[in-house]
Amino acid sequence: MRRPAIRSLVGGAAGLAAGIIGGVTLTSLSTAGVGVPGSAAPGLEASHVPPVLTLPGEPAMLRYAIVCAPREDGGPCAGSGEVYVRAGHAGSYERIPLVRGDDSSEGRYFAEVPPALASSRTGFSYYAVLHDNATGASITVPAGGAAAPDRSLPLGDATQVELGSHEFSAPRRADTRVLRASWGSERGQAGLAGSRALGFAGPASFDVGADGTVTLLDQVNGRAERWARGRVETVTLAVSGGLADFAVEPDGTMDVLEPPNRLTPAPLLRSFRSDGTARWTQRLADRTWAKLAVGPEGPTVLQQPSEQWLPAAEQGTALDRGAQAARGRPGRPLANGREVVVDRVGSSELRIAELAGNAVVRSWRVTSETPLGEVQLAEPRGNELVVVLKTYTDERAEYVVLVLRQRGSAERFSVEPSEWAESAPLARFRLAGSSLYQLGSTAAGAFVDRFDLKESR
Amino acid sequence: MKIFLLALGAGLLLAGANGAQAYHRFWTNCNYDSPTFMTTMTRDAGQSYANAARYEGYQWGGGCWNYDDVDSYPSDAPGDPSTHGEGGDCSGLTFKTWRESTDEWRDGRYYWRALRNVHGPYTAGDFKNGVGAPNHVVAKATAGVMDAFASSSHIGMVFTRSLYGGDQIVEAKCEACGTNIFYRTYRSDPSYGGVARWGWTG
Repeated sequence: MRRPAIRSLVGGAAGLAAGIIGGVTLTSLSTAGVGVPGSAAPGLEASHVPPVLTLPGEPAMLRYAIVCAPREDGGPCAGSGEVYVRAGHAGSYERIPLVRGDDSSEGRYFAEVPPALASSRTGFSYYAVLHDNATGASITVPAGGAAAPDRSLPLGDATQVELGSHEFSAPRRADTRVLRASWGSERGQAGLAGSRALGFAGPASFDVGADGTVTLLDQVNGRAERWARGRVETVTLAVSGGLADFAVEPDGTMDVLEPPNRLTPAPLLRSFRSDGTARWTQRLADRTWAKLAVGPEGPTVLQQPSEQWLPAAEQGTALDRGAQAARGRPGRPLANGREVVVDRVGSSELRIAELAGNAVVRSWRVTSETPLGEVQLAEPRGNELVVVLKTYTDERAEYVVLVLRQRGSAERFSVEPSEWAESAPLARFRLAGSSLYQLGSTAAGAFVDRFDLKESR
Repeated sequence: MKIFLLALGAGLLLAGANGAQAYHRFWTNCNYDSPTFMTTMTRDAGQSYANAARYEGYQWGGGCWNYDDVDSYPSDAPGDPSTHGEGGDCSGLTFKTWRESTDEWRDGRYYWRALRNVHGPYTAGDFKNGVGAPNHVVAKATAGVMDAFASSSHIGMVFTRSLYGGDQIVEAKCEACGTNIFYRTYRSDPSYGGVARWGWTG
């Protein structure tokens, strides 16, 4: 064996070093592709809860949270902003700078609407432009700005409905169980995802046609199931499998409102023909959605941070994000051209109004001694308004169904929540004709119950 | 020259082994730096911190992410901490957003940067029960911005309340869901309790 020469040792060391350095450089390039320290932080975000329905004399304080990239010192954003406000719903806006407060629990940036504007008989309308002073970025809330501002309306001579202290002992039994689907992937079954450790998700949503046909969104199995007269028909849908909301339009078009997920971080509305073939997919204007409904022009979505109903399509054609934002309204649009506006105030009050244009034509103020949760449904039935809301304590919860008339509550009963598996947040109830339908689940499977309402006068 | 080329190949192989690990495990991007002790902690800074974790994915047992708005490992097997992917899980995201200590008895404020890989000692169920000096149970009706709702299997923080009575929740929900802001009705769900962090300063 020959002793190695110094030149050979140097050459070998140089080669080893060059190889490692070269390899590390290649590795760094590949990790750069998945993100490395120093890459840009997410952009500007905001939140605001508009005072949509106000009582006489109630101060109108507008509060905003400005959410920006995290600061190295851990402090809150260096933000600023201004609100553009006007009396009523037409004319020019008055600019009011936002004040930066010490407390961010309800929004650090605030402005009080001048009493002369806030007390306007027709309410006031406004939008805000918020800034991240560190980057110069701005965001408009709601996204439609001057074209589709937030609207605050006087509740007017509201009908008072006092629920008192809720008794959790007497939920009403359903009149009929119209659908019963055990967990599985066969026809007539419903898919179940998740685990005991992470929680389970069942059918995310459903809809009921005028003829009583129940269509279940079985997103776990990538399909819809139509249940009519004891028969089940399945339609394959190309959906992500997330907890989506769902609506069937009168012509059979199926709308699936998808949540963001690991691959698609923005929410999407997917439109399918009745045979399940895709028509179009449209990204929502805002980052978050709460509920999907079908309005007279097509699907419409309650979105955040705008806190408005934004139409996603008109006459079958998808609206781009700008067009959605420019058409934002405070209420869910109804077939008769009116809107229903919902404002859950504080922990135990619900304000509801029916609008014609920007005018309140009738309204209700529901108060409770037991905390109130989410409003699942608020829809007219003839001259009545059917409302389903949750009431809860830290240990229990029940749905309260109210049938409201001009002079008060015509019907009231409780429904037990059967929510073993998770569904979309505001997709538990549907109103069709004179019946209310509930989507529920147990360890055995999913079901839809029907509650027949008293005859409307 | 022959020796140089042989050594060059060996070096590339050595570096390549390291590169393969980096490709398959996001955690090689992470660090174990000490947190920064802080005297302040505002709710809107908490909103900013949690919001910045949006789009960065979910990793069961994880607590490390960057800010490139992409889940670098979106197809990890659910419920498997050994995949070492990007993102926090629900309790890891909450722990870091709430600036907690890995010592349950400490209630000070400790700022963990995004790439600091830490999950913290608490499960969702621990948070629900108010375990740890910085945590406590609150009535759900009173829970506000950057308080949270926790069940035995999940926790999500209130980004802000919403008009229909639900809440916008910032959460690391599941591997497929990633981390994002979702509209949820945890407040009225009996399987969830209200929980909060002591020590907000504004």
